Amino acid sequence: MDAGLIAQYVMNGLMLGMMYALVAVGFTLFFGVLDVIKFSHGDVLTVGAFTALATFVGLSAAGIRSDLLLLPAMLVAAIAAMAALGMLIARCLVLPLRSAPALNTLLVTLMLGTALREAVRLFYPQGANPKPFPALLPAASIPLGQFNLRLDNSIMLAAGVGVIVGLQLLLNRTRLGLAIRAVAQDEETARTMGINFNAIVLVTFAIGSALAAFAGLMNGLYYNEINFGMGLLLGVIGFTAAIIGGLGSVYGAILGGFLFAALQTIGAVALPFGSAYKDVFAFAVVIVFMAWRPTGLIQEKISERV
Amino acid sequence: MAEADPQAAPRVAPKPRASLWPGVAALVVATAYLITLLAVERQQLIMGLLALAIVAFVAASWLGLLAPVIRSFAQRERALGALAILAVLAVAGYFREDHFVLLLLVTVLLYTVACLGLNIQFGYAGVLNFAGASFFGIGAYTSAVLNAHTVVPHLVVLLVGGLLAALIGSLLLLPVLRTRGHYAALVTIAFALLLKTFLEVNDVLGGPQGLQVRGMQVLGWSFNDNISIGGIELSFYMSYLALSMLLLVGAFILVLRLERSWIGLNLDAMRLDETAASCFGLNPARWKITAFTLGNFLIGIAGALFGMVGGFVAPNNYTFADSLILVSILLLGGIGSPWGVAVATVIVVVVPEKLQTIQEYRFLLYALLVIVVLLFRPEGLLPRPVRRYFPGWRQ
Amino acid sequence: MTKTPLLQARGLTKRFGGVVALGDFNVDVHPGEILGLIGPNGSGKTTFFNVVTGIYGIDAGKIAFDGADITGASPQAVYHAGIARTFQRSRLSLPLSIFDNIMIGNHKRLDQGLWFNLMRRKAFRRQFDESYRASRALVEVFEPRLADKLFEPVGNLPMIDRRRIEICRALINEPKLLLLDEPSAGMTHDETSELMNDILQVRDKHNRLTIVLVEHEMGVIERITDRCVVLNFGRKIAEGRYREVAADRQVQEAYLGAAA
Repeated sequence: MDAGLIAQYVMNGLMLGMMYALVAVGFTLFFGVLDVIKFSHGDVLTVGAFTALATFVGLSAAGIRSDLLLLPAMLVAAIAAMAALGMLIARCLVLPLRSAPALNTLLVTLMLGTALREAVRLFYPQGANPKPFPALLPAASIPLGQFNLRLDNSIMLAAGVGVIVGLQLLLNRTRLGLAIRAVAQDEETARTMGINFNAIVLVTFAIGSALAAFAGLMNGLYYNEINFGMGLLLGVIGFTAAIIGGLGSVYGAILGGFLFAALQTIGAVALPFGSAYKDVFAFAVVIVFMAWRPTGLIQEKISERV
Repeated sequence: MAEADPQAAPRVAPKPRASLWPGVAALVVATAYLITLLAVERQQLIMGLLALAIVAFVAASWLGLLAPVIRSFAQRERALGALAILAVLAVAGYFREDHFVLLLLVTVLLYTVACLGLNIQFGYAGVLNFAGASFFGIGAYTSAVLNAHTVVPHLVVLLVGGLLAALIGSLLLLPVLRTRGHYAALVTIAFALLLKTFLEVNDVLGGPQGLQVRGMQVLGWSFNDNISIGGIELSFYMSYLALSMLLLVGAFILVLRLERSWIGLNLDAMRLDETAASCFGLNPARWKITAFTLGNFLIGIAGALFGMVGGFVAPNNYTFADSLILVSILLLGGIGSPWGVAVATVIVVVVPEKLQTIQEYRFLLYALLVIVVLLFRPEGLLPRPVRRYFPGWRQ
Repeated sequence: MTKTPLLQARGLTKRFGGVVALGDFNVDVHPGEILGLIGPNGSGKTTFFNVVTGIYGIDAGKIAFDGADITGASPQAVYHAGIARTFQRSRLSLPLSIFDNIMIGNHKRLDQGLWFNLMRRKAFRRQFDESYRASRALVEVFEPRLADKLFEPVGNLPMIDRRRIEICRALINEPKLLLLDEPSAGMTHDETSELMNDILQVRDKHNRLTIVLVEHEMGVIERITDRCVVLNFGRKIAEGRYREVAADRQVQEAYLGAAA
């Protein structure tokens, strides 16, 4: 196959990997600070994407046409709204269930995800149908030999990298990040050191949800379409990626995201009828991997004391 | 205390056995209510009836009327179980010519069997299965394929459906047996999503339109023909209802015996504290796979029969959302409680069918309801009681 | 007369990252004796129990029990060999009844087959009756008030009664070796005395019962144990009768800090 096609696949894989990584990081952060699997995360991504779309529709109707204004507005709206939603979820559903068995939190968030998904389907105008998403990034492309490097995808990739780097800086270089890592490691000690546990949890959920909103927006811009079920599979893949990398490790989540995208790409290329079965292939490989190395590439944190 | 002769019966004054009557009264009220609800058509009346039920339940609970009923059922289980079967037959008899209602009843019965299977996995063993509807669908597709292309007797087809679901389930669970709970959750969710895609993509299995399923025939008796006995006409669904009832009674007895045995104890011990249970000789992997397989066997059989009842199968009926409905039934009824499962199934299946206005919203409503239950009454409607190995036995 | 030790550990080492939880630990436990295992918090006592019962793997060393090598054996295998234990932080199944919890300990004596449990209900009934009598008898030793309440959920009981039930769970299958991890935590002096007397009473009934006892109350150690082993930072620093060990300077420093 020619270099152009390979480059195409690589680009696609990178974009997918980026989106998966963003979702996976959310899962890993939630598990890190609270030992919870928040299954509604994928659906928060969906709501984020729809918030962006609604912002676009609203602002366009108000007469604003400039892409330079619309895109940042959508970004800010989606991120702010999802951060708020994430905090609300933490405050009302996750924190109150801390003393209940972990299963209950998993179930509650799973049901919440369904509720969010159904709410979009039922209450967003024509929510049951896929909705076109505007192309707001420059559509030009730079020819590089046999491959056309699209400007919009490159911008998104760069932005994604920026977000991930920013997150790493936040976690490793700021006091807030230090507090988050402290709580993730040992809640009791963190509390005795004066860290406001509840506040940190809320902030962590806000960050994770904001990342999901960003990923949702990226998804919309990349496919030029969104639908109410988009978060379901993305959430499952994001969770899988977080597990591959080892729950609790941010590096692992990022790694896992790109690995899963790579597996999908390999599946699409190598198998006959590849595109239909790429997901099955990728999951099958992951399941075998989990049997071999249940704690992931980077050790999942063990919180049980005997 | 002097050295007691271990062979002598413990010297405790026996409490009188709970009376049969509270249970009987509850059954009579429930039967009358159900018949009324199923017979009524006007939406306002139905809403009124539902509101009445909620108010009555809350009032009964507040007035302390529920406890004697629960005690009655707990200690006089055999008699009340038999009466419950009669009650179902009474409801069926009342609607003997009504295809719609009988189909609804059969659906309730088969969903209950499936949820009893799910209960073994979820409620007893603590193995998360978010693909319950998928295994139900595997059973249904088995009926479709075998009935159309082979001469396997239809009762055997039911068994094959169960075995296939059990087999696929164990293959799915094996890799994640030694990992923590959320891995099983992930694997089953992924399976639920991917199976639907797989079915839609494969035209051999009918693609998105699905397949037709030939009706059941046992020894020349065709289940799809209406029945007339003497001067009485019966809907053909009666045959299916009788078979479903048999299946449910069998499944119910199985689940009750399982819970009231050392196996039930092992499952609970493993679910509650795997490490401690291991230190007392329990092998968690063995029991997880046993529970998962047994549960899927029940789900598969129920699905196989359901396929024949409905007459067709399609991927859209066995989605992840449907699996979540099954899980909702379990959580609403009271996880680990077979009677709770039965009651919750009736509620979850019948209400949206009667209250057409909420049909569209049922996924949303049940999701919200479960959230409320988990936050405020996680034990569910009929909480699971402490294990009594022999109902009515006292120390 | 030298008897072969029931439990023999040689060179046991267990590390967690950079921390040596057990370092080159050797100990012999003789049949029929009560061995005290003492040391400051974090000295490796529970780690030793976890290593013997197979919950933790070992980095180095060997363990032999009753003539057989159990190094690296699974917790299930260790249980079947005849070792039972209690846990430092009580690990009972709270929603289950007292009887259920005790029966968990009786696993190897109960028929676990599907056919037996689902179909042979009369035989199951006989096994149930037997088990009920046995648990009742055991509970009567430790807390007679509970004997009529065997089907109460354990979660309703006060902490002290839970600890007693946990010991019953360990004793029900008549193990050869009993590992007790701070059984009297949270009890008053009198309750502790009573508990120890009850344990001795059970022990007298089948005198093959060997016990390793982790305790913080030194009075108990002095009264009950035949010998002691003292751990500090994962290493054995003293061994012998309690009086000798208590007088040992290293031991005193370990507990109280180095003398000025």
